[in-house]
Amino acid sequence: MNSRKLITDFFVLMALTTNVSFVVNPNGLELFITVVTNLAATLLKVGEGRVLSAELMATGLVADLHLIPALYFYYAGDPPEAVSLAWGALAANIVSVLLVVIDTVLKSYMEEE
Amino acid sequence: MRRRKVRRKTRTRLRERYERRLFEILRELSIPLVILHFTLAVGTLGYMWLSGGDFINSFYMTVITIGTIGYGEVVQGADTTAGRIFTTFLALGGIGVFTSTITVIARVFFKEELQQLWRRLSMLNAIERLEGHYILAGFDEATAELARILARRGQPFVVLDDTQEGLARIAEQRVDYYLPEAPFERETLLAAGIRRAAGLVVNLGDDARNISIIAVARLVRPDKEDFAIYSFASSPENAQKLEELGANRAFYPGRMVAGRLAAYLFHPESSYLQGLFDRLAFGEETDVDLLEVRLDEGHPWAGRTVGELRRELGVNVVALRTPAGRLDLDLTDDRVVPEGGALILFGRTERLEKLRERLEAAHELS
Repeated sequence: MNSRKLITDFFVLMALTTNVSFVVNPNGLELFITVVTNLAATLLKVGEGRVLSAELMATGLVADLHLIPALYFYYAGDPPEAVSLAWGALAANIVSVLLVVIDTVLKSYMEEE
Repeated sequence: MRRRKVRRKTRTRLRERYERRLFEILRELSIPLVILHFTLAVGTLGYMWLSGGDFINSFYMTVITIGTIGYGEVVQGADTTAGRIFTTFLALGGIGVFTSTITVIARVFFKEELQQLWRRLSMLNAIERLEGHYILAGFDEATAELARILARRGQPFVVLDDTQEGLARIAEQRVDYYLPEAPFERETLLAAGIRRAAGLVVNLGDDARNISIIAVARLVRPDKEDFAIYSFASSPENAQKLEELGANRAFYPGRMVAGRLAAYLFHPESSYLQGLFDRLAFGEETDVDLLEVRLDEGHPWAGRTVGELRRELGVNVVALRTPAGRLDLDLTDDRVVPEGGALILFGRTERLEKLRERLEAAHELS
């Protein structure tokens, strides 16, 4: 088992689940944890030797660029705007998780070959 | 129907190798940044808990604490006993994390290898834009002199050399395009744009290495007419072998220099003229030049007289190579130019260049 991959995949999934929970029930603490897990997932993706590294990094950055302004809007007194931005980040996080699955399948095929 | 030329842009393996290494270096940043990120997150969460959810001030308080700025307790609840205990532990752990992360970032960004990789990637981008250039494999004194002549002529070239001496010479001569990689590797030749290049000059110091690069280059560009390979050889016998193995011409430098000197020794009375032709032949004369134009089947000049061509082209037709290969120097104006031969033109470089471009354009259209 690749421990680095395990930690990165954990944060990619965690980013999605916390994002869902914020969208379902908007809460400042939940949003903060979503931002923290998203940023951690993005930082862990730096320099990863995956087949779809660039795509994963791009989706991670998209989610971060939605969630960081969302955090600002939430605490600046505009929670509806924060929620709508979090929906955008959620789309990026879903793509991110799908990419992780595709990448894992691709890599196992390449290793077999 | 005229087929449109489409330039295909391919990612070379060398570029992929450089990019992979670049990301490997950047990967060193990942773990320290994640630790710093979690330290900031824990600090912010702690102050949010103490202050009852004041995110902006909690984040600010964390940054000034672990960044050793310490303006004081700017968030509510930080000056309580619980707050002070939390700040103490955050400062003890956070300051170490912050300073080590800054150190790692500085070390990575000031790493010479990272800067070198960045320069090499920029160089690859520039080389990808070249077309009709020459590749000089190996950069000793002779190739360095050739590079000077090419630069004077405005002819782009890419130097391939991975030796210390070669790289020092490249830096000294401020070569525009070079790759510090093993020249006989296929990926190096592809990165140097061999598919778009006009020719290759091989001078790697020993014949075995010269043969290996000629073999690799000929696998990529097999047509001798389309892509010229000129090689240096350590002996006249090896020069012949290199030509048989794929070089258009292989030169034994000793013989070339001796031949050039002998020409001066045997013609002392016409040293100026000798020197002029010598410089023309070796591309050192930039104002005037020679041009050989082959008169293939259907060439518009075939069947016309030398006098007509002299008047129309504005250059001197100095010789005619007949289809049988004989060089005819006594050309009168009424001499008809035959198909299958070649004309040797002598004139101003810019006029000859325009003529060459015109001929190439006419050839492409046909």
